This record gives sequence, structure tokens and C-alpha cells, in this order.
Amino acid sequence: MHNVVIVGAGPAGLSAAIAAAAAGAPVLLIDNNPRLGGQYWRLASDAVGEQGGQHYDLATGLMLINAVKARKEITVLSGAQIWSATHKDGINTLRVIQNGVEKIINTANLVLCTGAYDRTLPFPGWDIPGVMTPGGLQSLLKGHGVLAGKRVVVAGSGPFLLPVAAGVIKAGGEVVELLEANKSNRWLLSPFVMLENIAKLKEAFYYIKTISQAKVRDRFSSAVVAAYKNSEGILESVDVAKISRNFKIKKVRNVKCDVAAVGWGFTADTSIAGALGCSQIVAKDGGVVVKTDENQQSSIAGIFVAGEITGIGGAELSMAEGVIAGISAAQFVGCKVEVLKAHRKRRAKKQRFADALIKSYPVKAGWITWLNEQTLICRCEEVSTQDLKQAISELGATDSRTAKLLTRCGMGLCQGRICGRSVVDLVASELNISPTDTDRISAANRPIISPIPLGVLAAGE
Amino acid sequence: MSQSNLEFTFEGQKITAISGQSVGAALLAANQRILRKTRFNENERGLFCGIGVCFDCLVVVDGVGNQRACLIEVKSGMRVQRQVGSDA
Repeated sequence: MHNVVIVGAGPAGLSAAIAAAAAGAPVLLIDNNPRLGGQYWRLASDAVGEQGGQHYDLATGLMLINAVKARKEITVLSGAQIWSATHKDGINTLRVIQNGVEKIINTANLVLCTGAYDRTLPFPGWDIPGVMTPGGLQSLLKGHGVLAGKRVVVAGSGPFLLPVAAGVIKAGGEVVELLEANKSNRWLLSPFVMLENIAKLKEAFYYIKTISQAKVRDRFSSAVVAAYKNSEGILESVDVAKISRNFKIKKVRNVKCDVAAVGWGFTADTSIAGALGCSQIVAKDGGVVVKTDENQQSSIAGIFVAGEITGIGGAELSMAEGVIAGISAAQFVGCKVEVLKAHRKRRAKKQRFADALIKSYPVKAGWITWLNEQTLICRCEEVSTQDLKQAISELGATDSRTAKLLTRCGMGLCQGRICGRSVVDLVASELNISPTDTDRISAANRPIISPIPLGVLAAGE
Repeated sequence: MSQSNLEFTFEGQKITAISGQSVGAALLAANQRILRKTRFNENERGLFCGIGVCFDCLVVVDGVGNQRACLIEVKSGMRVQRQVGSDA
């Protein structure tokens, strides 16, 4: 029997590995982190020690991690970076670098669980050291036991801001402000879904309790719209604005802080799926995700996808999808096993909750008005709003791809992972048109999954 | 609680870290927030995404440039420097 090859060891990947192994399939689990768990259950090293209060449901994570370690059918490849993925005649070829050595893996079946990263929006000063993503701030706490600063502003939109703010407080930091760009009562838009997922509300209240006990100033319809540095070049303060429903600035005040963690939900990391040729679609939040069928199979037979790369939905939806993907992959390699009705029901329930959240925390077009001519859009290539506008007004670019080629916007080391989505929105706004799905999907695709030193390639050939 | 058990240098200055921490985390714990200066505008940059996506925390480790401080684990005796421009 062939291996089930799984990429990513977060909630989806761990669940898929256990499901496939339980069905009797040998599993190869490839992950780029040093320890299993993904971003959600990011664990600290033994020396750093577990960080109290940084995880809401570590027990589930440890249960899955220990089950993966205990199963002899599962081989784990940790600290392994996939830099290239190709699909030809039914065979997927992954080029993986582990400890500086390249391994080539050929497999007819694959389960991709590559997760997501924070969605960011550009604003004046967002490149100053001290401005970071909420996910980055949390990963420092969970994985390294380091609090990024003493006075922290947490801002942006979405429920993820709550655990991040609570984490700062638990680690002994001060949350100076907690700012949600949308209105407070938006989750009431989907009352039945909320009641159906009452456990998720309990989780939210757990964070809110910590936040309110610390007497944090929390504000809705508010956002960080500019950041300023001191003479050394380090973050000193941010402008906090009261914003309209459409995110237009109404009133601004300045707040001193040494960290501003600003995030707008998540962007799926579809790099590997895209490189293999799996069809991608644009989700309701404007993000690009991998298209799946009811068995978590992508448009390519034998390639299954689960978790955030199929649509942002959180750890529980990822686990539900992971189980189905693991079973489907085991079936694909010849195991006698079936996806049960209960599996599909669980996934549907979590999906309804994910859809409700996306409806509750939209990112409105008014953020574009926060930019000035000098604001960097592409951090890697240092391309400003003005550069991008010139490419359109003077050089005649009429789509984001051309604007990108003219300005190098999105052509730096991160390959547009950070600015790609914003560039599409900005170019469309400048041309007074709506971005097409083709624009969005093209901005989400990149030829190389992760840049690697040429020396490694030379040694591997 | 955890103990500092490793030593490395940043711009020639001694920094202590805990085994398993990333270079970026250890530097932040030592209040070193500027990790590089950009190629064109020579602007300061530090940790941004923290998980290896944004490539903004590039440092030079033992003479090798373009290393992501957020991903690379601290090793005893490492020599870390700010990256100025595109590479060392």
C-alpha cells in the first residue's frame, strides 16, 4: 500500500494523519515547524517551557500530537520546508529541504493542510519595527515565551483579536487599547448559528473575562490608521481613528505604545496547491482558497485539501475537514473505509459558524483612504502608493498584474504574500472597477513556494 | 520558569537566549527591535509576521545573509548582524 502524504501538522493535518492511519494507511507527515501543532497549537521548546494561559484548548492539541507520535504507521518529517511542488501524469513531486539536505518525494496522493497567515492592510508607518501581526505577537508568546512589548495596542477585525489581547495580559503586558473596526453587535446577524455553536461563545467569553478584568479600553468602529517612530526608528505611537461603517476616518487621537498588533483576519496559504494546479476560487471575504468537493478532494484526483486553505474557519472546522480528507486519502490508496454521515454533519455545523463570522467581520473599502502617497504598499520592494498610482495613470496599467510588473510590487522575497490582496484592491479602486476573480487568483499564485539558497540546489543535483 | 541557557552575539553584543527560541524572539526579549535596514530607503525593519511569511526580519547569521530571524533557532556562539540592503 502506498503512503498517504500529508503536508502541514496543524489541526487539519494532525486530524488527517490520525484518520488515515486509523484506516490502515501508512502516513508521511511533512511539516515546516520544529514541533507539531501548527500555528494554533504552537508549542514552546522544553527549555522555554509551556506558556500558561496562552492556549484555550491545549488538551485537544496535545491529544492529537501524542496520538500522531504514538502511531507507528505515521512517519513525521519536521522542520522540512517544501520549496517546489509539481504535478505530472498523476504524480506529485515535492522537493523538501530538511537540515540543508534536499529530499524528493513522489506520490500519487497528497493531503494539503498548509493553513493561513494574518491578513494585513497597509497604512502609513506599518513598516516601523513594533508594528506587527496579531499572529506574530501570539507566536512569540506561545512558541518562545516572549512578550513583544509592554504597552500593546491590538487592532484590526475579527474574533482572533480576543485571544491575542488576553494572551498579552496573561503574560503580564498592558493592552493599552483593543480596537475592533466593525460594530459590536454584528455577530447577532446569525443568532441561530451562534446558539448552535455555544461552545465557541464560551471561548469568546473566556477571553473577554480576562480582558475586562484587566480594565482594557476596548472600542468598536475604531482602527489604527497610522504609526509613528521615534528618533531611533522604533514605534512610538499610533493614530487611533473612530471609523465609519465603510472604514472612513471620522476622528483621530494619538496613543503611545511600543507594539501595535494589527490584523484583518487571515489569508489562506494556497502556494503548494496552486503550484500543483489545483483549482482555486475566491471566498466570500475576497480571499483565494482551494476548491474542494464533499470528500475534501481538490480539482485534481488524489490531492485532498483541508483546513484554512479551503476557507478561513478556525481550528474546529479544520479538524472536521482533516478527518474527512484523511479518510478520503486512505480510501484513495486502497483502504476499506468511508466518510460517515456524522463526519459531514460536524463539518457542516462548523462551516455555518465560519460563514457567520466572515459575515460579521468584513473589511470595508474605506481602508484605502488611510493611505498617503508615501505609504509603502509592497514592503519587500519598497513600492509606495504613489508608485502604484503612477503605473496606472502614467504608464497605463489597467490590471494588477501589469501594475505589478511595472512597479515590482509583490515581486520581492515574500512574493506578494503580504501585499498581493491589497494591491488587487488598490489597483481596482484607482481604476474605479471591481477586481475580478482572475485578478485575485493570479495575485495568490507564485512559482517558487519558498526561496532557498542556490547552494542547496547545487548540492542536490 | 524558564532560564537563559545560551549566549550569542548581535552586532558584537552578547545576548542570552533559551534553547528553542528563535533569533528574532531572543532579540526582542533583549529589546533589540531593529533587525535590518532596507535596500532603497534604508528604513528600519523588525519582526512583522513572526511565522516566516513576510521576509522582513532578515538578518546575517555567521556571515550568511537573508536568514529569517523568526524561523532560525538560536545556537550557542552564533554571530548575528543586522542586514543592510539586500544581502551581507
